[in-house]
Amino acid sequence: MTYKLTIEPTGDEIDVEEGQTILDAALRAGVWLPHACGHGLCGTCKVEVLEGEVDHGAASDFALMDFEREAGKTLCCTATMDSDVTIEAEIDEEPDARVIPVRDFSATVERLDDLTHDVKGLVLALDAPIDFQAGQYINLTVPGVEGARAFSIANPPSATTVVDLHVRLVPGGAATPVIHSDLKVGDRLTFSGPYGRFFVRKSQPGPLLFMAGGTGLSSPRSMILDLLAEGCPEAITLIHGVRTQADLYGREEMEALAEVHGTFTYVPALSNEPADSGWEGARGFVHDVAQSLTDGMFAGYKAYLCGPPPMVEACIRTLMKGRLFEQDIFTEKFLTAKDAEEKPRSPVFRRL
Amino acid sequence: MAAKKLGLKQRYALMTRGLDWETTYQPMDEVFPFDKFEGIKITDWSKWEDPFRLTMDNYWKFQAEKERKLYAVLDSFAQNNGQMGVSDAKYVNAIKLFLTGVSPLEYQAHRGFAHAGRHLRGVGPRVAAQMQSLDELRHVQTQVHTISQYNKYFDGFAEFRHMHDRVWYLSVPKSFFDDARSAGPFEYMVAIGFAFEYVLTNLLFVPFMSGAAYNGDMATVTFGFSAQSDESRHMTLGIEVIKFLLEQHPDNLPIVQKWVDKWFWRGHRVLGLVAMMMDYMLPKKVMSWKEAWEIYFTEAGGALFQDLERYGLRVPKYADVATAEAEHMSHQNWSIFYQYTHAAGFHTWLPSDEEMDWLSEKYPNTFDKYYRPRYEMWREMEKDGKRFYNNALPQLCTTCQIPMGYTEPGDPTTIAFRSSEYKGDRYHFCSDGCKDIFDNEPEKFSQSWLPVHQIFQGNCGGATVPDVLAWYNMNVGADNMDQAGSPDQKIWDAWKTKQEKVAG
Repeated sequence: MTYKLTIEPTGDEIDVEEGQTILDAALRAGVWLPHACGHGLCGTCKVEVLEGEVDHGAASDFALMDFEREAGKTLCCTATMDSDVTIEAEIDEEPDARVIPVRDFSATVERLDDLTHDVKGLVLALDAPIDFQAGQYINLTVPGVEGARAFSIANPPSATTVVDLHVRLVPGGAATPVIHSDLKVGDRLTFSGPYGRFFVRKSQPGPLLFMAGGTGLSSPRSMILDLLAEGCPEAITLIHGVRTQADLYGREEMEALAEVHGTFTYVPALSNEPADSGWEGARGFVHDVAQSLTDGMFAGYKAYLCGPPPMVEACIRTLMKGRLFEQDIFTEKFLTAKDAEEKPRSPVFRRL
Repeated sequence: MAAKKLGLKQRYALMTRGLDWETTYQPMDEVFPFDKFEGIKITDWSKWEDPFRLTMDNYWKFQAEKERKLYAVLDSFAQNNGQMGVSDAKYVNAIKLFLTGVSPLEYQAHRGFAHAGRHLRGVGPRVAAQMQSLDELRHVQTQVHTISQYNKYFDGFAEFRHMHDRVWYLSVPKSFFDDARSAGPFEYMVAIGFAFEYVLTNLLFVPFMSGAAYNGDMATVTFGFSAQSDESRHMTLGIEVIKFLLEQHPDNLPIVQKWVDKWFWRGHRVLGLVAMMMDYMLPKKVMSWKEAWEIYFTEAGGALFQDLERYGLRVPKYADVATAEAEHMSHQNWSIFYQYTHAAGFHTWLPSDEEMDWLSEKYPNTFDKYYRPRYEMWREMEKDGKRFYNNALPQLCTTCQIPMGYTEPGDPTTIAFRSSEYKGDRYHFCSDGCKDIFDNEPEKFSQSWLPVHQIFQGNCGGATVPDVLAWYNMNVGADNMDQAGSPDQKIWDAWKTKQEKVAG
């Protein structure tokens, strides 16, 4: 039996198995809730139950008082659900977040472009339009492959009938070789979406710094196209890091945008380009290039990070060293069930 | 359209912020004289994130119910003669150590947080410190009330307040808190809020509370639960303090690092009392000190410092030494207390064969090689009627105030000696960690009230051991000496004989 859990004030909706705790389900779905001890003793994960029935489980009488139980409070780390439930948690409201219900979509493969030697641009034509926020992702079902795969949407939300995905070939992987070798124009695919809480904080002023690694260009591309089309007055910088010139894609488009929009700066950065190749652009990892661009000071920026975890971690450290902290750093975390099983991290950071 | 309902966070902000003001009769620096001299730079107090959102009216409601529940359990413990249901009379000595060594620290924490709250000029941390101050007062009261039941039947409890200020080994936890409370408000918050309440608290409370549960002491378990329900606020406050200081100004990092290094090491030394309690004093063991250290410091602390590394903060200096010492600390401490049992406010004993086998299993690298032979020798001496007492007063470490019984890192057969000279006097230390702390603040630590020095200076009732014990208010022959033959053991044996007759 599966119940639906709605989490206010964000409006996230997730599925919770019978017997599964609310905290476990939320963390596995990538929704962060305040928590500490994890077994009903400390009370950090206390929430208000607005609708539905919960079982408090092993919550300590001291961490969840009788009067609180009567007032509809529960502890997420021990509470299980006996019906569909709506809770209100102490999480920050995001005025820029839109609540868009996840739906299932069918689509036809419209194009399969070779963006580089190992990145395909997969363009899907949708049967019905999709509503999403720039930065969000979809879960694509690849024919013959069990489980869906997450891909960020690379086109801006203004294009509602197509979905543009950047797919790097993972050698020995299950899904990406199928997309690279077997998929043909005209094939039919299904996906669900949109997912994720990676979006531009448009209500917050300040210059924007996008740090992208490899196919992590997808979300920033969507966000930047969206911002430029809206006439965003802030300065926007994109650093796109790849290994060599052969791995670089999207350059012509970004350079053209930078020509037209004086607020937009595009910096392709190569980390492993041969010294004698004639490349005159930036060399080094994304975080190194960012450091030299700003003299290492990032205070005042809003930073959006998208790419492989080691790149994201290196960028976070560089940004923090340059006095930019968690509340101004945004990144998507693809939490898998495996991540949730690993030993818990410290509560120092909520999102990063 | 109805106005959008405010989120919990906004509601809290409306109820708690904007309540302070810029003073005009006196400059702010006069009203808050202590929040600058430590060198900490705060550029924007409003960036303080409330780690928890509790208003004062709700606070009273919560704490009142906690009290009702706790005292219901304590009443039933007393009415059902709970003291007779613990695993063994030896267990009570662990509770003596808690009441005399730890509970007074709760009171010190109450005063410390009240002071820090008063002297921080930001309203967010002030409210947080105020609530924690009240929590700590509640904790000491509930602990004293819980333990008072044992005081009706057992020795060693009656003079806990008096003893805390005088007895040689109690100066270890006492001086730890005196040091924190006489520091500036930011150092206090890092020392107690972060290093103690966050990094090390599980090593203090979990062993005592699990130990109580394993050994049938439901009253102590209940005050533990009651206190732990406040801990979420204390722990998140500790984390918030560190984040706030490190985000406010880059100059704060080296200061905070020094405090983290200092208070980690000082906390580790104080926890030696817990190590000994876990490995030697609990009749039914929960886990070894070494296992507890691995779970609560190596793993949990590892994850914490990995995250804090993003701020440039590194793992506390000498954390590796502390981890290596986990193989030795409990054995060396218990040996000290065995030798000085005539001057301690609780009973000691030699581990039984069964207990020594447990220690061999838990400490395969060290126990059989270094510590079992010593206990076996002492056991032989006891049999020959030559129970070993150390009649000389020990040299104390000037920083941690523990007798200089710890060994060199990597060489458990050599006592570690360190020393520093300051204004013509030489000061002695048990470790590099303690020496560093002194060398950073010699003007502070050269004033330490060291129990042995004070005895020699004639400030502790006289020149002989009986004089000093009288000055401690020690009930000689009842509070001190071996468990075997003590009045505690006699009353326990009498209860058990009676129970057997009834059951018979």
